[in-house]
Amino acid sequence: MNAMGFAWRSLVRQPARASLGVLGVAAVGALLFDMLLLSNGLVVSMRGLLERTGFDLRVTATDALPGSGPLIPDAVAVTEAISKLPSVRSAVALRFANASIQDGTPRGVYAGFQGVSATSSHPWTILRGRDIGSGAEVVINQNTADRLRIQPGARMTLRASCSGEEQALPPMTFTVAGVAQFPFDTPNGITVAASLDQVANACGGNEVNEADVIMAASQETAGPDTAVADVARLFPSLKPLSNVEAVSRFERGGFTYFRQISTVLTTVTLAFAVLLITVLLTVSINQRLGEIAALRALGFSRWRVVADVFCESVLIVGGGGLLSLPLGASLAVGLDHILKRIPGIPADVHFFVYQAGALQVHLLLLAATAVVAALYPIRIVATLPIAATLRDEVVG
Amino acid sequence: MIPVAHASPPPAIVAAAHISRVFPMPAGPVTAVADVTLRIASGDHIAIRGPSGCGKSTLLHMLGCVETPSSGTLLINGHDVTKLSDRDRSRLRLRSIGFVFQRFFLLPMLTAAENVELPQSEANISKAERRARTRELLEYVGLGARADHRPSELSGGEMQRVAIARALANRPGLLLADEPTGELDRATGEQIAALLDRVNADGTALVIVTHDPALAERSTRILSMRDGRIDQEATSA
Repeated sequence: MNAMGFAWRSLVRQPARASLGVLGVAAVGALLFDMLLLSNGLVVSMRGLLERTGFDLRVTATDALPGSGPLIPDAVAVTEAISKLPSVRSAVALRFANASIQDGTPRGVYAGFQGVSATSSHPWTILRGRDIGSGAEVVINQNTADRLRIQPGARMTLRASCSGEEQALPPMTFTVAGVAQFPFDTPNGITVAASLDQVANACGGNEVNEADVIMAASQETAGPDTAVADVARLFPSLKPLSNVEAVSRFERGGFTYFRQISTVLTTVTLAFAVLLITVLLTVSINQRLGEIAALRALGFSRWRVVADVFCESVLIVGGGGLLSLPLGASLAVGLDHILKRIPGIPADVHFFVYQAGALQVHLLLLAATAVVAALYPIRIVATLPIAATLRDEVVG
Repeated sequence: MIPVAHASPPPAIVAAAHISRVFPMPAGPVTAVADVTLRIASGDHIAIRGPSGCGKSTLLHMLGCVETPSSGTLLINGHDVTKLSDRDRSRLRLRSIGFVFQRFFLLPMLTAAENVELPQSEANISKAERRARTRELLEYVGLGARADHRPSELSGGEMQRVAIARALANRPGLLLADEPTGELDRATGEQIAALLDRVNADGTALVIVTHDPALAERSTRILSMRDGRIDQEATSA
């Protein structure tokens, strides 16, 4: 019987203790797995979301986030100039405002109101109906359609709010051209989009031809870095940023918080796992000292009894580790659901995202846990005085 | 058959010369065994007697290579055990020495057969050979029908029989038994004693540490210990 077989029989001999160990490791391992998914999940999710928009660089007036900084003047001309750069395939200017859609209630329905320049590609995907044309048309998201119970072809009236100050702009009526999916929509967000001109009109004719951000897609042959350099050369006063740079800026900023939390919780969960297994193995071994000393007296090598203990640790951690994956995945879905209730989080952004690298780190950490947790029990059996133990067992 | 006269005694399995064992204690060193000289040859049947704490078990442990002498020379099968590494001492025990304990120390999660197979497995004996040897040994100790029983399903006497079979698994030349009947009633102890006699008669040198005079009387040499020394040696036919 090899060490692994022997360890298995030793564990099965005490099923309650073994089950406790495996379940404990499964619970701790699930948390560990989730923390690893969380540490990079938001970054990976945001990167995926940015890539799915079809644009890989963004141009703003300052380093501020789009929608929170000054507007880009002469946006249509700038967008056109950018789209003509050899390294750029297409570009679109976006203006962000707010609106209150009239639904018969005194306050109306609060909505995000976007304006886009007249280009062939828009940063949304049409689900039903068609895209906006040149007239007073809008596309809405599914939440808006559901909330207002309207479909393409319907008319809607809204009152825009554009500068963040108290305004009393006149309401404008639009025809709903289609229902679209917006990449940065929040789960319950109400979004309406029209052309840049229509948004400017709704904003009272102020800030015409201005945009919060210009999004551009680089030519495959050039790549986003070349495109960023070309835009910076063409418009030195503007701030072009590739998706990669944007994500890395997120990583250095608010996303660090999640990484720090996950690092702390990972360390704590690993410490718990090590303590749990060490205690279980130590108790188990202390109850079997006589048997172990007898095996040594019968000729079992020190290495062999050490291997037995190590294999017990591996079996507990291995069994618990396997269980931790489905458990962790289920837990991640639930936690993601809870965290996504934070206001302003786009529906397509996830906190817990599966990454092969996280799984590898998870397995490595569990393997290290098995080794570290076994160190103390291994020390006990490795330094066990055979004769004294046999004597004590008889006297005891 | 032509009788062969032995010009010299049979080769020693154990040759101990002036061995002592001193344990360092907070209150000062304690001498458990002092200046013992002993020779054990194939076929010997030795009992070690003496009051509790006189050093019987420590001497047995030194003979079994699980304790090393503080001084003196101890050769087992010609190997000076004080010069062997832990690994080599383990190998020597595995191949040359069998142990029988008062509390049996069978592994409760293994069957009788698996307990007997275990030392053979450690000695890298092939599976087929292990199975055959285990069957043979369990038949030898009268437990052929209980091979698949776990220790919890066996009586004390049966467990000690399995322990004896386990000790003989790798065909050791020397069998050491520390109070082998200590946990058994008189009738069962008598059966175990008879079994040990048979093991000895079949050629294995036997050293028994016992408080039981009846068990000691079955030996051909009785060593009486006091204060760590052999103060008397009696030989019977």
